[in-house]
Amino acid sequence: MRILTKTSLYYLLVSVIVFLLGGLSFYKILQTEIYDEVDDQLFTDKENIIEYIRSHNELPNVTSGISEAIIVRETSAHAGALEALSDTLIFSTYDEEYVPFRKLTFTTYQDGKPFEYTILKSLMDFEDLFESTMLAMAWIFVLLLIGLAGVNYFINKYNWRNFYDTLERAKRYSLTQRKPLLLKPTDTQEFQELNEVLQAMTGKIHNDYLNLKEFTENASHEIQTPLAIVSSKLELFMQSDNLTQAQAAMLEEMHASINRLSRLNRSLILLTRIENQEFSENEIIPLHELLQEQLDQLHEMMLMHDIQVEIEDMQPVFVEMNIGLCEILISNLLLNAIRHNSTGGIIRISLRADELCIKNSGEPLQEEPVTLFERFRSGNKLSGSMGIGLALVSKISELYQLTPSYTYEEGLHVLRLRFQKNIT
Amino acid sequence: MKLLIIEDEKALNASMVSYLQQGGYTCDTALNYHDGSRMLADQHYTCVLVDLTLPGGNGLDLVRVLKKNSPDTGIIIISAKNALDDKITGLELGADDYLTKPFHLSELNARLRSVIRRRNFNGQKVIRIGNLEVFPESAEALVQGRKLTLTKKEYDLLLYFVTNKNRVLTKDSIAEHLWGDHIESLDSLDFVYTHIKNLRRKLVEAGSEDPITTVYGMGYKFSI
Repeated sequence: MRILTKTSLYYLLVSVIVFLLGGLSFYKILQTEIYDEVDDQLFTDKENIIEYIRSHNELPNVTSGISEAIIVRETSAHAGALEALSDTLIFSTYDEEYVPFRKLTFTTYQDGKPFEYTILKSLMDFEDLFESTMLAMAWIFVLLLIGLAGVNYFINKYNWRNFYDTLERAKRYSLTQRKPLLLKPTDTQEFQELNEVLQAMTGKIHNDYLNLKEFTENASHEIQTPLAIVSSKLELFMQSDNLTQAQAAMLEEMHASINRLSRLNRSLILLTRIENQEFSENEIIPLHELLQEQLDQLHEMMLMHDIQVEIEDMQPVFVEMNIGLCEILISNLLLNAIRHNSTGGIIRISLRADELCIKNSGEPLQEEPVTLFERFRSGNKLSGSMGIGLALVSKISELYQLTPSYTYEEGLHVLRLRFQKNIT
Repeated sequence: MKLLIIEDEKALNASMVSYLQQGGYTCDTALNYHDGSRMLADQHYTCVLVDLTLPGGNGLDLVRVLKKNSPDTGIIIISAKNALDDKITGLELGADDYLTKPFHLSELNARLRSVIRRRNFNGQKVIRIGNLEVFPESAEALVQGRKLTLTKKEYDLLLYFVTNKNRVLTKDSIAEHLWGDHIESLDSLDFVYTHIKNLRRKLVEAGSEDPITTVYGMGYKFSI
């Protein structure tokens, strides 16, 4: 929920409560005032009637203008003096509805005989007043709503514009862009502070990132150079004429280990670089063509292992990726299928718009499939692999929001890559 | 043929010089940017091997200058940085090849040969060793004038051997030369053995003596 919607709802809630309470107390106050007024009038009428009777010794008639309605009833003397105020409803034949009245009943004596007088005053005016007040309140409420919407719209458009702009820029910001986060200056203090904090923060993160990147590159440089020296010296050593067989065997082992180490180092550097998202130059790649290319390159190795490739499906699929990483991804998947195959086995490949599926025959896994994509996991030690191939697959997949999954179905290892976006 | 090796690691520089001198090259060396830049201005080289991270400057600037002043000189960049952008920039600037440290000296030699061959239009178009002739342009090989039927990998292997004749080549370096990065996860050493076996058979069948000898368990050597 947007912050403006939220604040508007709070405003609205408070307004409703204020209007309800306000309306109620307004009603109460008005009622009390009007009752006071009406009662005053009734008592005045009463005084007038008594005065009239005293001077004229007869009842005032309706046209005398003293009161709207007077009802006179003879009453027994012992009933005592009475004076009571009350509300009553009288059916009006003209309006065909009950109309509220205030009535005052009192007793007075004429010629020594007690009479009970009842005078009435209509409260119709009061009802009307109440209704129009409520209507006015409702109108004010509606106007307030419209005003609120208008104010919100303008605040949104002019005040919050800078905030949304900042948000959009921050969303699009990527460390690998090598550009600092540039935000529009604003005259709203909070947003300006936010911008400054964001800029300082990204600046610092960017610096750290550069340091890390530099460290990674330096580390690789520092490790690769001694490796290169040892490797080259060993190679020169091997060219010596008078080596014994035992010395040669040692040299060979050293050389092989150095090679392994340097390949491992390269792979780890690659993993770090993928993690650092350094491969941000993407292009649209025809995956079906790249897959075919990689299959051709590995054709020879498959022949040597006597592995048959069956293409179940090969639809044209285009993905947006870094070409180098895409090659590494596909070749590692295929190499994995060759490596963990049995001699005379098969590889089944299907490429569809939503997924790439590579199945290969081979012994079932000895370990949990979840560990498959971790580093330094190799199913069997005899192959001498470093178990970094599928870790690379997993890292690259993560980068491009592809979902790799592993299952074992009908004697086949099945590796699936599900494409989510990137499909054009 | 004169080479200039600009590499700040003395030990590595010396290894390259030692290996390449045995191949008949004359090698000059520079250990920093300024020496390298001065020597490039003074002399003409067939090919220059240049490291990118040098004391005193960036190797890419040397490539730039060299490309301007002496466009016919071959350039191979040797770098510990496997940074893709450096590689792309280097090749765009006109470097002929890019080698990441650590590398096999035999691989460096093969790349160097290939660069010189490509640049040297009027030069040697055939490599002759005994009764073997290799034509790099058409990727063909003849033994006693008869064409050998080789697969692409067998031809690559033969060329690699011929370029590094009389040297011990390890199985690792052969595998890396033939399969590049793919060897990382494959039991490539058996493949190397198979390919060498086939190449030997084809050479012998064509009437050559077996030129490939196994050197202890260390590797193979090509000599006629």
